[in-house]
Amino acid sequence: MDASAIYQVRLEAFEGPLDLLLFLIRKRKIDINDIPMATITREYLEYLNHKERINLDREAEFLLIASFLIYIKSQMLLPREKALDEEKDPRQILVDQLLDYQKIKAASLLLRKKEEDELQKWKRTALPSLFQEEETDFMEVSLFDLAESFFSLMRKKEEKKTRTIKRKEFSLEEKMKEIMAVLKESSFLDFLDYFSQQESFEEALVSFFSLLELIKSRIVIAIQKGPFQPIKVRLSQEAHLKRK
Amino acid sequence: MMKNRLKEVIESLIFISLEPLTLEKIKNVLQEYPEEQVEQAIKELLESYLTNERGIQLLQSAGGYLFSTSPEHDLWIRRLFKLERKAKLSPAALEALSAIAYHQPATLAEISATRGVDSSHTLKTLLQKKLIKIVGRKKSPGSPLIYRTTDKFLVYFGLTDIKDLPSPEEISKILEEEKYLEEDESSVH
Repeated sequence: MDASAIYQVRLEAFEGPLDLLLFLIRKRKIDINDIPMATITREYLEYLNHKERINLDREAEFLLIASFLIYIKSQMLLPREKALDEEKDPRQILVDQLLDYQKIKAASLLLRKKEEDELQKWKRTALPSLFQEEETDFMEVSLFDLAESFFSLMRKKEEKKTRTIKRKEFSLEEKMKEIMAVLKESSFLDFLDYFSQQESFEEALVSFFSLLELIKSRIVIAIQKGPFQPIKVRLSQEAHLKRK
Repeated sequence: MMKNRLKEVIESLIFISLEPLTLEKIKNVLQEYPEEQVEQAIKELLESYLTNERGIQLLQSAGGYLFSTSPEHDLWIRRLFKLERKAKLSPAALEALSAIAYHQPATLAEISATRGVDSSHTLKTLLQKKLIKIVGRKKSPGSPLIYRTTDKFLVYFGLTDIKDLPSPEEISKILEEEKYLEEDESSVH
């Protein structure tokens, strides 16, 4: 077999160093229990030298096995008091690993066949419920983002010079009840809408703290589809389950 | 209630369950009926699904019963959901999953060693897909997390039980076939 035939398969095509080793062993029709270490190590290293792109993470794994191969070869070269067959063959660890990998890889091919068959059968387990689907679409809004939205909204309101005429006392408890009432009415609450409706800065601030309290105790969650998207508040999944 | 009614009740129970419904659960619900009678009804139900011309199949998976559509209807169902095709697992994910399935309970280090490739990213994907789960920590240095396959894994591959995984005989058969194919190829050249 000439060299060009060997290099037809690119390194990227292999799942990992063990995959490459198995390929080389099969290609040369080598008995896995009696691997000629010098030959296989040389071919393995040649593959590494012919890689097309450098990918450090991947390379490290390939090099790890390369050093292991060289180590085994060196162990076999060392003079021994006892004959090799009496002692444990230094190749045994590699052989065990290769056999195990070979088994796992073959099993994964069989599983692939099963996967293909099963994907044709639609089951209710595979259909996500609407609630879960929504959950993954949105991301939870961080406290920092919430505070930023709140204060930028308040600054805008200030510019409009709205004046407070009435003076009312607001309590956290009342506001929390109010938010929960809104959430029971409609499934969600629009963050900007809700705070724009607040009559005074004081009221808005109390409402904001109430909201934070509800988020902290995981009763509600603040979500948005992505950065700069409208923030929405709604009951958390735990709260939903409790209500059921 | 007559005996043939029992069969229909079980059919409804399986239909309404999102997860494979186990025999145990069916028996719990139908506690006023003798167990043999319930088992007989399930048997008859399974048989009726085998013989009748229906678009729905009754399967046994992950230790329970569940309905699925017939594989021949895949095309039209995908059209309904506006899906080109269902996403398959990547080769890396499948390999890692296979390593966990055969070596479980297994740690990240054990899975990576089996594959000769770092598998931390792959495990994260599998966890997200709920095909594997964390079952605890190993009492060894660093107390690494221990992973196992889930019931969803069984359903995904249509396995009744974890013992249903491809057997050593099936595996050696596929390895033999591969060898044969390669010899065939080299004789051509």
